[in-house]
Order: sequence, then C-alpha cells, then structure tokens
Amino acid sequence: MKLLTHNMLTSHVKGVVKGYPLIIKATEVKVNELEFNAQFVSRMIPKLEWSALIQAAEWLGQSQDLPSTLIPNYENDEDFLRKVHRVLLEVEVIEGCLQCPESGREFPISKGVPNMLLDEGE
Amino acid sequence: MMKHLYCTAGAGMEELLAEEVQHKLCATQVEQISGRVFFCSNADLHTVTQLKSAERLFLLLRKAEPISLPNNPAKAAAVIKQRVVGDPDIWKQTLLTWTALQEELQGSQQRGHKRRREEEDEEESLTVADESSHTLTSSTHLLKRQNETNKESREQTPSFRVSCRCSGVIARSYTSQRLGRIIGMAIKEHLGWKVDLKEPVLEVNVYLSNDHCVVGIPLLKHPLASRSYMKHNGLRSTIAWAMTSLCPKQLNDCVILDPMCGVGAVLLEAAQEYSNAVFLGMDTDTSQLQKAAENLKASGMEGRVQLIRSSAMEIPLADGAVDAVLCDIPFGRKFSCSSDMPTALPRLLREMERVIRVGGHLVLLLSLQLSAQLKKTICTHKHNQHLNSSDTNNVHTDPSNTHNESTDTPKTITFHKSSSETSNTPLLISSLQAQRTHRVSLGSTDAFIHIYTKIQTQAHSH
Repeated sequence: MKLLTHNMLTSHVKGVVKGYPLIIKATEVKVNELEFNAQFVSRMIPKLEWSALIQAAEWLGQSQDLPSTLIPNYENDEDFLRKVHRVLLEVEVIEGCLQCPESGREFPISKGVPNMLLDEGE
Repeated sequence: MMKHLYCTAGAGMEELLAEEVQHKLCATQVEQISGRVFFCSNADLHTVTQLKSAERLFLLLRKAEPISLPNNPAKAAAVIKQRVVGDPDIWKQTLLTWTALQEELQGSQQRGHKRRREEEDEEESLTVADESSHTLTSSTHLLKRQNETNKESREQTPSFRVSCRCSGVIARSYTSQRLGRIIGMAIKEHLGWKVDLKEPVLEVNVYLSNDHCVVGIPLLKHPLASRSYMKHNGLRSTIAWAMTSLCPKQLNDCVILDPMCGVGAVLLEAAQEYSNAVFLGMDTDTSQLQKAAENLKASGMEGRVQLIRSSAMEIPLADGAVDAVLCDIPFGRKFSCSSDMPTALPRLLREMERVIRVGGHLVLLLSLQLSAQLKKTICTHKHNQHLNSSDTNNVHTDPSNTHNESTDTPKTITFHKSSSETSNTPLLISSLQAQRTHRVSLGSTDAFIHIYTKIQTQAHSH
C-alpha cells in the first residue's frame, strides 16, 4: 500500500463519522524506486490531504523533512516535488495494519494489499 | 509507406475503431461497415499493432461491389475468377507489400533499413497509382523486385489457404467452405500459388455479403485483441478499452476507481491509455486480486494501479474522492455478498455515485437485463420531481417492464423493498445524468456501456 492510497482510504465501520486518517501500524515497509514525473506529482498535490500524508510519512520514518503545511508555489520546486514523489509513490507498506481512529477496528495489510472488508453488521 | 488496411471489430466497436485509427494513426479514407473498418495509413506497423479496439488486422487486397453467384458451380467459378480474384497484378503487388510488412514486423535492423529505402520508392509509385486500380504502372518497379533474392522469388508463389465467410443471398446457395474451395482453386489457377491447408505462408481472407466483397491478408497470426500482457483474462480486452474510450473526459490527472476490478482488465487498458492518473482497483476476492497483481506485473503496470480488498457495497473512500468510476458489473446472478446482482444494483449504484465528485463520470458495462434495471434506478432530477409530484403517472415505465398492473409506478416501490435493510427512502439516483449508451457484443451475448456524469443536485447541496 502506497501512501497515496492511504491518503484516500477511510473507515466505514458503522457509527464512525469521519474514520480518517487511518493509523498505520507497519511491520514491513519497502521503498520501490519509481520514475519521477514532476507534472503528475504537482497535479496530485491539490487532491491530497496534506497533513494526513505528512502524518503517515512520519509514522513510517519517511517524512523527508517535508513541512507540516503545504508550501506555496511548489509547482516549480523540483526538490520538493521529488520528496513528495518519494513519500507518495515509492514508500510502500507491505505488512501491517490500518487502524480506524474512531472505532479502533484494525484492517490488515498483507502482501501490500490492505483488506478493508467489513464483517456483516459492522 | 502508405498502406491500405482494414481491421475486424466486434459488433458495436466499429465506430470506436474508426475514431481510434483517425486519432492514433492519422488514418485517411476511413470507412466503417458492419464488423470491419477500412483505412489508409502510413504509420509504422508497430503503431498499427497497438490498436486497442480492433480484433484482427489485414492488408487490404480488394474491396469491390457485392457479387451475386449463379447456382451452377462452373459458372460461379468463372464469376469468382473475374470478380473476387480479378487482376493478378494486384495480388502480386499486395504480396510484395505483405512480405515487406512481415519483414518490418520481424526483420533484423539491417534488412529493415534496406527495406525502408525501397519502400520509400514504392510509396511514390503507389501514390501515383489510383487507389481503385492499384495496378502496377511502374515496370521498373517489377524489374527491381524480380532482381531480388531467390528467397523472394519463391515468395512470388507462396503457399496459401482461403478463409471465407459469406452471408446473405450467397450463403443460401453456397456454404463458406465450398466457396472457399472455389476461390482457392481460382487463385491457384490464376496466380500459380500453392494451396496448403496446414501451414500456409499466408491466409487469404474473403468476406462476401449482400453489400460487400472484401479480400485481405492478415498481417499477424494473433488477433490484436489478445493482449500479450494479460496473464489472466477477464473482460474482453477491446470492450475493457472501450469503457475508457467512451468516458467523456480525458483521464489524465484523475483518480479512477474500479470497485469490482476482478483481474483488472478495465484498469489495465485505462492505465495504458493514461500514464498520468491514479488507478484504484477493489475486489472482495483475494484470488482475483492476486491475478490482477500478476497481470499488472506482466504488463509493466505495477505501481500504476493500487489494489485494495474491499466491497463495492462499502467503498472505503470519502464522498467525491474519485474523478471516474469504471466498472464491469458482473453478469452472473450470484454476487459476493450473497445477494444477487439485481437486488444489489441500486445500492451498488448509490455507493459508486457517492464516491464520484460532482462533474465526474460513471462508466458501466451491464447485461441487457441489468441495463433495463439501471435505467429505472437512475433518475434525472426532473424525472425525480415528476415522480414525486404525481404518483399515478406511469409514463416512465419501461416497455420491458411487463408486470405493469397498477397505476402506481412500480419502480420506486421495487427498489424501496429491495433495500429495506438500509433505509426507508426509495433508491432513486437523481445526480447521475445519462450521457450516452453504447451497445457492444461480448461474443455469446450483448451488453450495454452506460456513461453518466454526476451533477449537482439539491440533495447534495446540504
């Protein structure tokens, strides 16, 4: 699971209002080099929950000194975009789990795939 | 080199293929008939083989007025000789082009360069020649060809077999097989080519109908539609591609979700078309996700599509999180969460609608039966008000809905019942505006691709 995916995932356990962001408890993290595409990264940034991304990166010890609030004019800051690229697309949680911040329900991550299935009535 | 080509296409795909050849190959003289699209292009053959909506690729040999055949086989053979086989020069010329294209496909770099120079010459003579006549006016050209290697002179009389398909009036008197034999004999006599049913150098493809007479030679052994990158086959690749293609908006910089991705066929086709987009694939079944992961790896799309195990009934995303949902709704009656698809469909639609942002798109592939149900579930804002204002109005009842006994419109009630466990409000979706419906063939059955755009409604403004 990439942090890009994590940035979008929410918990839909019954009764949970927001269920976001999910807490990451990783037991295996991998960094896979991926071709850098500055335009793509800069266009994805407005779609992200920035604080959730930084939080997630910190959990994994991969924050790359990224600021807790998004800097202005990042479009032309290649150094910045490369760091975001790393955090967003290259860092991957292989094993571990995601925890709903409200209900405490844990969603296992196995072989890089988070299992968000809920049980009947959940 | 300017080439006269055609592709076969599944029913409903001709229009998309015609658009694709114009868009990707800058093709000219594009003409579509049922099941086939003809075009001229000077794009290199590798680019042509990347076409996504076509089934098979052919070099065009002859496209003529339809023929009618006398019942007497001997007389029919004469007609075939004249009208189907025709001018031997065209065959010789087409064979040379075919051979050149085969070399372009497989040949070594060195020979490829030599070829290319010759092909440039050829292109000149071809553009001079009229398309319909196609006759080789340049005798120097022939001489040059004859001076080529022994191997090539052998290829002047290649082994071949005829693959014939006929329909309409002709099919009443002759079977395709029998016609194939007659045509094969005519070619053999007329051109001196050798019949070989087992391993011929080339296949001559003949299509005779009430409206057309088409002769071509396939350029590839494998159909374009069988993608080398699919390890596990899911939805027919051309249809999977069509779903992206029919989406009204370019999908770059978008987040695209398939909430029932299976082995990932739809997302794989979309990911190859749009390199700057985020693709999310969800499925409840681990073995399907495993196959999807293997397909992604085989196609080099690993890292481009994110897989998540989850139910389409409870998509783990926030409202409005995605720009487009592409989904092949399973046709089978059984659905993952032990309820059948007709029952699950309204809830499924509502969940997909929820995660699409306003202005985003929904592209669904559905069986004919589910399509009819879909139309009843998705109700534009105007219709919705209409229904609310007059309960006795029955104008929206679908003709397929035969149990139309009450004056009350049955739709709302039906969906109300099927979703009684979730809410008491009827599941009519008013925020999805129908854009287009496209009928396609899946081989044994037909299906509809429905395209919707999510619009702002009152329900969403508070």
